[in-house]
Amino acid sequence: MTHDFTHHCTHHSTHDASPLLQVRDLRVSFRIDKNTSVDAVKGISFDVPRNATVALVGESGSGKSVTSLAVMGLLAAETSSVDAASHILFEGRDLLTMPPAERRALCGKEIAMIFQEPMSSLNPVLTIGFQIAEVLRLHMGMSRRQAHARTLALLGEVGILEAARRIDAYPSQLSGGQQQRVMIAMAIACEPKLLIADEPTTALDVTIQQQIIALIAELQQKHRMSVLFITHDLALVGEIAERVIVMRHGEVREQGAVSQIFKQPADDYTKALLHCRPSLDARPMRLPVIDDYLAGAGAGVGFEQPQRSRGAQPGDIPLLVVDKLSKSFFFREGLFGKREFRAVKDVSFTLARGKTLGVVGESGSGKTTVGLTLLRLHQATSGRALFDGRDLIAMTARDFLPYKRRIQIIFQNPYASLNPRFTVGQILLEPMRIHRIGANDGARVAEACALLHKVGLPAQAFRRYPHEFSGGQRQRIAIARCLTMQPEILVCDESVSALDVSVQAQVLNLLQDLQDELGMSYIFISHDLSVVKYMADQVMVMHQGSVVELADSDELYRNPRHAYTKTLLAAIPKGL
Amino acid sequence: MFSYILRRLWQMLPTMAGVVVLVFLLFNWVGGDPAYILAGKMSNAEAIANIRQQLGVDQPYYVQLGIFVQQIVTFDFGNSWATGEAVSRIIATRLGPSLTVLIPLTILETVFGIALALAIAFVRGSLTDRAVMVACTVGMSVSILVYIIVFQYGFAYKLGLFPVQGWGEHFSDNLLRYAALPILIGLAVSIAPTLRLYRSFVLDEASQDYVRTARAKGLSQTRILWVHVLRNAAIPIITHVMANLPALLIGAFLLERFFGIPGIGREVILAVERSDFPVIKAITVYVAAATMIFNLLADLMYQAVDPRVQLA
Amino acid sequence: MSYQATSPGLWALAWRRLRADKVAMASLAVVAAFLVMLVLSSSGLIVADWEAEVGVSYAPPALFHEDGSGRAAPAPAVAAALPDNPFDPLAAEVAELRAEQGGAAKAARRDTLPFGADKWGHDVIKKAIKGAETSIVVGLVAASLAVSLGTLLGAVSGYYGGLVDDFFNWFYSIFTSIPSILMILTVAAVLQQKGVATIVLILGLTGWTGPYRLIRAEYMKHKGREYVMAADAIGASSWRKMFAHIFPNVSHVALVQLSILVVGFIKAEVILSFLGFGVPVGVVSWGSMLNEAQNELILGKWWQLFAAAFAMALLVTAFSLLTDALRDALDPKLK
Repeated sequence: MTHDFTHHCTHHSTHDASPLLQVRDLRVSFRIDKNTSVDAVKGISFDVPRNATVALVGESGSGKSVTSLAVMGLLAAETSSVDAASHILFEGRDLLTMPPAERRALCGKEIAMIFQEPMSSLNPVLTIGFQIAEVLRLHMGMSRRQAHARTLALLGEVGILEAARRIDAYPSQLSGGQQQRVMIAMAIACEPKLLIADEPTTALDVTIQQQIIALIAELQQKHRMSVLFITHDLALVGEIAERVIVMRHGEVREQGAVSQIFKQPADDYTKALLHCRPSLDARPMRLPVIDDYLAGAGAGVGFEQPQRSRGAQPGDIPLLVVDKLSKSFFFREGLFGKREFRAVKDVSFTLARGKTLGVVGESGSGKTTVGLTLLRLHQATSGRALFDGRDLIAMTARDFLPYKRRIQIIFQNPYASLNPRFTVGQILLEPMRIHRIGANDGARVAEACALLHKVGLPAQAFRRYPHEFSGGQRQRIAIARCLTMQPEILVCDESVSALDVSVQAQVLNLLQDLQDELGMSYIFISHDLSVVKYMADQVMVMHQGSVVELADSDELYRNPRHAYTKTLLAAIPKGL
Repeated sequence: MFSYILRRLWQMLPTMAGVVVLVFLLFNWVGGDPAYILAGKMSNAEAIANIRQQLGVDQPYYVQLGIFVQQIVTFDFGNSWATGEAVSRIIATRLGPSLTVLIPLTILETVFGIALALAIAFVRGSLTDRAVMVACTVGMSVSILVYIIVFQYGFAYKLGLFPVQGWGEHFSDNLLRYAALPILIGLAVSIAPTLRLYRSFVLDEASQDYVRTARAKGLSQTRILWVHVLRNAAIPIITHVMANLPALLIGAFLLERFFGIPGIGREVILAVERSDFPVIKAITVYVAAATMIFNLLADLMYQAVDPRVQLA
Repeated sequence: MSYQATSPGLWALAWRRLRADKVAMASLAVVAAFLVMLVLSSSGLIVADWEAEVGVSYAPPALFHEDGSGRAAPAPAVAAALPDNPFDPLAAEVAELRAEQGGAAKAARRDTLPFGADKWGHDVIKKAIKGAETSIVVGLVAASLAVSLGTLLGAVSGYYGGLVDDFFNWFYSIFTSIPSILMILTVAAVLQQKGVATIVLILGLTGWTGPYRLIRAEYMKHKGREYVMAADAIGASSWRKMFAHIFPNVSHVALVQLSILVVGFIKAEVILSFLGFGVPVGVVSWGSMLNEAQNELILGKWWQLFAAAFAMALLVTAFSLLTDALRDALDPKLK
């Protein structure tokens, strides 16, 4: 059920009414093995007008990246095939039927693309100057000197300071944000009419993301080019795009002007996407999930719920008291020297029973290291962690063994945290066997099945291998694994960061239900400020290893005190 | 950089010490008293007694080890038990012929390997690719002995295109006449494994993200392979060639034996056949040292060529 | 609680992929055939009589000769040629021997054999089969030894790191500084003793370095993976983590290494036997056949060379193709 806006152009276009890019009935399928192929894109149509930013939104598996690769002609010919009835018209010419040499002449010159992972998308053994000049010399026929001058100008335009020095740098010598700026410079070098940006900021910290988004918007205005911006983040769409196309499972669910879609979404899936994410303004008892919307339950699911209140209460029982926890890593330097990297510097906090402490920070802030050190997966350099009257850090490994049951962790990557060679049953039985929980294997199996039920997985999962489950389901298995030991503290290390928005909501609801039922305390580590505000009673903000602010979550988001906290909060994409 | 080299040289010492101890254990402990072997070679009882005394056979082991270490450091291993020639002289004179075969062989092998690997990468996944890979496997399954026997019989004996055996006096004569067929055979034998290896290096690089970016920039497949991919694939190729050079010295032993080339490899075989311990000991120790130094050179080259790596 | 059948794990999936690959199945069949032959020949059920001199010297292959289908050659009338020497101290013994041989001479030597004979009249086909036995046994046993040793040391080294790793790395660098052929030849020179067991030991004890390096790298990689950290968090001991958790993720690497080493060791054994440092005189190997073939070729007798070369090429090709297919089945990547 697509809303076809093909004939209706935005009011931003000036001289030319015809759209820059017209995709008609695009169908792409991938060959898995000799006999099976799967349709990634199932016949979609949309337009990209001139001088406008269009966002292509979807979760993983929606086909949004495949669409962009099809436009650029980057799909692997051996495994993919585009249907003969599909058309991709660029300025009236069909890209799919063009001779390859002609299409190649367009790529990099009229249509350019930037990718998600700038580090691996740049050639590591060639200087950035070489890589940018390459496209100038190929498409614009510039001489080496001309290309060099133009490259310097481009680097300045994208905000790389000291361009004259940096032009001979290698990608590995630049930060993630700088690498993405270089990619952008390479893309706009020949002043393309269309820039395709495939999740360009997903791999970057939120403050850097803000800068890159601003840069792209500025360049779009200045060069009057069209931008096709692919992302999974609806809030980001609200900030930068005029039109949005929502995709799911290879189909277009809805497309139109951003203001229209955000205020009055017609499609159920769009509604679900808009409401599943925890917002900074409300904290419903339960996050709405996709199924609520797709079942046709309609509007009103999220906002009429009773709100959950959070924050430190006077009657709180302190469970874990951490005092000046520090962790340094040592590297060898020079002939005999050592270099110290202080990942965690004097972190102190108190965790109350049944409450959640949120830990936020960007990459390199040390937040993950704190969690790992508390579980003694890293050896702390100094500090104390008092749990039940005893210092977890100072204990011997043997004394710590019984405490392993009581403090557990769920990792970020659902694909790496379960042993691929164990069945789900074996994964669940393993901790029970080690800690001798349950009288015999029969009792353990029964307990494992009960836990599978509790986390919302079918009993048949017992005999299956992890690779058959989705990311969200694997996180549930990881949660079930922790529950076998009935821990008192659960460290959630970016546990929902790798999941799609719709799945995130389900897992967050599960975690909340378990806390309500079992009274567990959580240390919730994340870079996602909205999620943390939803889940946490108190929030601890970390920057380069130190705690910069620690307060009740409502208070922190309302009145941030520290400058860094203010910067962080300001960088959150606000949507409309 | 300088401190890195120093540190690596420092780290090499324990390994070298280990090699020395290993060789010592093999020859002086497992091998035992050489009197039995020597008796079969020399009739002069006094000469035998002399050698035994020099090696310190009746002395405690640490003294024998000391003598061995001294020999290594002074490059003086005494004389060959079989021919009486000074061991150091043997090694010095055999190095030349070995290199005359090895260096052209390595150069040709690398150049052909890279060219063929790039060509195959162009048609990766196609029937040609699969067929060539199977052909390589079959080629590698035939023993090098068969190659040598058949080639020597066919090209040298029957067709008379090359001399069957022998070595000459002058360098150009050696290179163009005597070394030609061995080099040809060496090439034929090594092309298959080299192609397979280099192909895997090239394909690994060709599947990287930066190739996708290059295609997005509109570069032609040829340019992508020659400029972008090759530059990256060169890194493992160079390190592979450098690290394997010392092993090649010995590895050519079959070619040298069949063709009567007076090189190090053939010398080792002769020494083993004749139980000529000093020669084997000397060659083993020096080849080990050469391997370690070449590994260090390979690492330095790797650091020079790959900008991602920082000198630690 | 009803359970459905266990979903396929790594090995079942790999077998499925392997089955779909026709080349792999053909190679598997060839290798299996060789293994069956190995069992039959080592238990003596076939070719136990390979040493019998059944053909004339250098009998040509029957397939290439129109005449000659095993007709008995006339028994050489040698005995009566020389007159008896009254001063011959050994006269009595010689007479005895002649009497014995007179009986044996009745057993005719064939003119041609299916694939010819060598200098002493041994059947080349039987020698080739017996040689296969030698090479395969050496290959399998030495490879198993090398992989077991390398895997164990690599696991301990990669998992524990630190001083243990430093020590084994030192060990490894000693062994790899000396090119393996040189190592093998040196040990052969020192041991002064030949035999299949010796070759197996030499190859096994010098060949562990390849598997060691790979398994060590795998363990180092897996040690940092989250599922191992999770195992740590639930309280698994080091030993349990190494062998119950990590090893199943690494075993396919070991298997592929085993396959590669078998091929490498078969080729090495052939070369060693060719040079005379391998099997002792009474045992036949493809290497010893090639040694004899070298001189025979000049005389125009090519069949022993061909038989040995062909048999070896067939086995090694099949094994190599199987190794490649195995590697792809266990760790498929989009090509």
